[in-house]
Amino acid sequence: MSKNEKKEMYAAEVDKTQLKHQGRLAQTGVYLGKLFRMFIFQSDWKVFPMAAVIAGLVCYVVGESLFKTMEGTLLGSFAVSCICIWNGFFNSIQVICRERPIIKREHRSGMHITSYVLAHMIYQACLCLGQTLVTLYIFKLMKIQFPAGSLISGSVTLDLAITIFLTTYAADMMSLMISSFVRSTTTAMTVMPFLLIFQLVFSGGFFSLSGAALKLTDFTVAKWGLTALCSQGHYNELPMVSIWNNLKKLNSVEIDGEQPLHEVFYMIEQTEGGREEIMLKCAEYNQKPEYDSEPETVLMCWSRLSFFIVIFACLSVASLEYVDRDKR
Amino acid sequence: MGETVNNDWEALFTLFFAAGYLLMEIIQYLIVSIGISGILKKCKKTAWHAFVPVLRYYRISQCANREHEGRVFMLLIFLSRLLTPLLRSSSNSVFGLQNDADPLSKGFLLATAVALGVSICALIYDIRITCGLCETFGRKKRWVILFEIPIVSDIAMLVWGLSKKFQPVGLKEEEKEKGAEESNADLAAIKDGLTVNIRQRTARDGFQEKVLLRDIHLTIPRGHLVLLLGGSGAGKTTFLNAVTGYEPADATIMLGDHDVYKQYDSMKYDVGFVPQSDLMRGNDTVLSTLNDAAILRLPSTMKAKERKARVMEVLETMGLSMLCNTLVEKLSGGQRKRLSIALEIISDPQLFILDEPDSGLDGVVARGLFEKLRAIADEGKIVVVITHTPDRVIDLFDDVIVLAKDVDRTGRLAYYGPVQEAFKFFEKDSMEQVLRSINQKEEGGEGRATEFVGRYAHQLQQKAS
Repeated sequence: MSKNEKKEMYAAEVDKTQLKHQGRLAQTGVYLGKLFRMFIFQSDWKVFPMAAVIAGLVCYVVGESLFKTMEGTLLGSFAVSCICIWNGFFNSIQVICRERPIIKREHRSGMHITSYVLAHMIYQACLCLGQTLVTLYIFKLMKIQFPAGSLISGSVTLDLAITIFLTTYAADMMSLMISSFVRSTTTAMTVMPFLLIFQLVFSGGFFSLSGAALKLTDFTVAKWGLTALCSQGHYNELPMVSIWNNLKKLNSVEIDGEQPLHEVFYMIEQTEGGREEIMLKCAEYNQKPEYDSEPETVLMCWSRLSFFIVIFACLSVASLEYVDRDKR
Repeated sequence: MGETVNNDWEALFTLFFAAGYLLMEIIQYLIVSIGISGILKKCKKTAWHAFVPVLRYYRISQCANREHEGRVFMLLIFLSRLLTPLLRSSSNSVFGLQNDADPLSKGFLLATAVALGVSICALIYDIRITCGLCETFGRKKRWVILFEIPIVSDIAMLVWGLSKKFQPVGLKEEEKEKGAEESNADLAAIKDGLTVNIRQRTARDGFQEKVLLRDIHLTIPRGHLVLLLGGSGAGKTTFLNAVTGYEPADATIMLGDHDVYKQYDSMKYDVGFVPQSDLMRGNDTVLSTLNDAAILRLPSTMKAKERKARVMEVLETMGLSMLCNTLVEKLSGGQRKRLSIALEIISDPQLFILDEPDSGLDGVVARGLFEKLRAIADEGKIVVVITHTPDRVIDLFDDVIVLAKDVDRTGRLAYYGPVQEAFKFFEKDSMEQVLRSINQKEEGGEGRATEFVGRYAHQLQQKAS
């Protein structure tokens, strides 16, 4: 090619600095398509059968007394919160860190981190929604008795679905944030158990905490999930059976050759509704105002969980903006 | 009366005990500092840093060639200094000596657990640094045990610092050689090509600022396929990152009329960079991968039909048409490399850079790949390639850039120009021999980097004048 021909060819070329490229929304679409394609080719679909098995196990163990007694509701709600956190954590703990070098390359050639994270958020929301539906289906299948009245939407199932979804999604976003902070899957899997234990220990309902430790519970997803479930399950209106059951163990205690407790218990059981009255009286002294069955309580829990989701997503974006600083 | 006298004696004794304890601490600190200052002096570091509390451990870690560990250790020491009163108070309360704080409060116990964790981490890092120090001084690792025993460690430090028997053997001898001349000649930008004027590229590593590149000036005309040659650590990737604007240097990089740094946001689409490893998602098909790249990199105004045509054209060019629906993870090394290149050429960049594209490929496949790069360059692009086996494809290159480490271990330009002239300049017959001549002696080279850097800088100055 002669010099003149070359000059003509170069002059005919478009000035690429003036060209516009795809914006954030279009890029989100591209990554979303990529993620859904990978759902089929990768093992992401496995989260649904896993959610079904876990829900089944929990229903088998605590399902009988869930939403029926005070203790059963607390224990069951705690178990359901644990399912949500477990599911959420496993959905996304490795998704970003495992492709960090790819993100670095794509960021270098024009990818917006916000689009990338938004695509993950939408995709993970779909996974969490699927898991919520699977979990609720298993609850119905295993004949879990749902609470009597709805507090927000008019449908108890929908109320529970929103709580389960938000708890799962908040945990999911937390692990997405961890995944964007760390640089390898090994580190992510090392950090995850610590987070899980922190969530369970500081859930605020199951383990008695006080002082500064109690304040820490405000920062856990588990607390707000548990509170919402207990509130929706009418915790404070349910009978407390553990005291009666423990007292009944003293049935055969003899004093001066007689069994006075046996006589008392017999008398109470013979009276119509006597035992239930005692159980409700016991419950009255063990009510927790934070679990009041008020729409405000549930709405506050939902707003806290939503706040966590937004914060975790923002932190993910902020940390990934520094992906270029990764060393080779 | 008697009770008052007793109280006075008790107060005096407490005061005396406290003063004695403080004096002992000061003496211990001085002994350790003197020892460390001796070690630092032997390692040619600033000796008075031994008297600065936390910093001295970092300096010691530098002597031990364990800088990363040193940084972590500094942080751990700082944390442990904050938490030590808690630990002491805790152990005292366990042994019934005193009870300043409520030892059973949950917060206190939690903090104690954290303090214990920090102390264990600090111990591990201390052992790592001490092992490094033993290597530097050519001593056996059993010294580590002495360095971890309280009081004994202070004496050991003093002995290592003051005794002439303990001398570092692992430290590299400072070269007395004079640094190479600098050209300091900023080149005028050429319209049809790339103009690189890197004055300096620095990076901070802990407390030190290192100069990674200095005084690199060159212009590459369009249509040239350029080989980037240099030994390990000569700054090849740093140079490329500086040229593409990814890691800006104190430099002016012009691609035609455009300043790459000032117009980075728009220019990044006109610069293609193919990394050494194939960074692509394995569970996506070839077509989808390339299609997504096309949406991201091609102008948004381009119609879907045109974009599809461009994707097909690139697939054809790179010989991937038959593999459209194959998953990326199922591709062979060569096919994957071609797809990696396809991702970048989809946007038809003017400057195209490849970091070791032939790594892991056999000679025939590599040759085929370089022929494709030659074809891309012939379309009027600038193609810069790093490769460690250039001689098998040297006939395809127009020019060669040779980077070398100077006496300060800074990347410098040892040569830039046509391949045949490079052989004359270095008085060698192959690029492998050129590389050997500029590599350091400890790397098995001839250690003539400074000579060539100086000679080329002189040559450049002459051209400029």
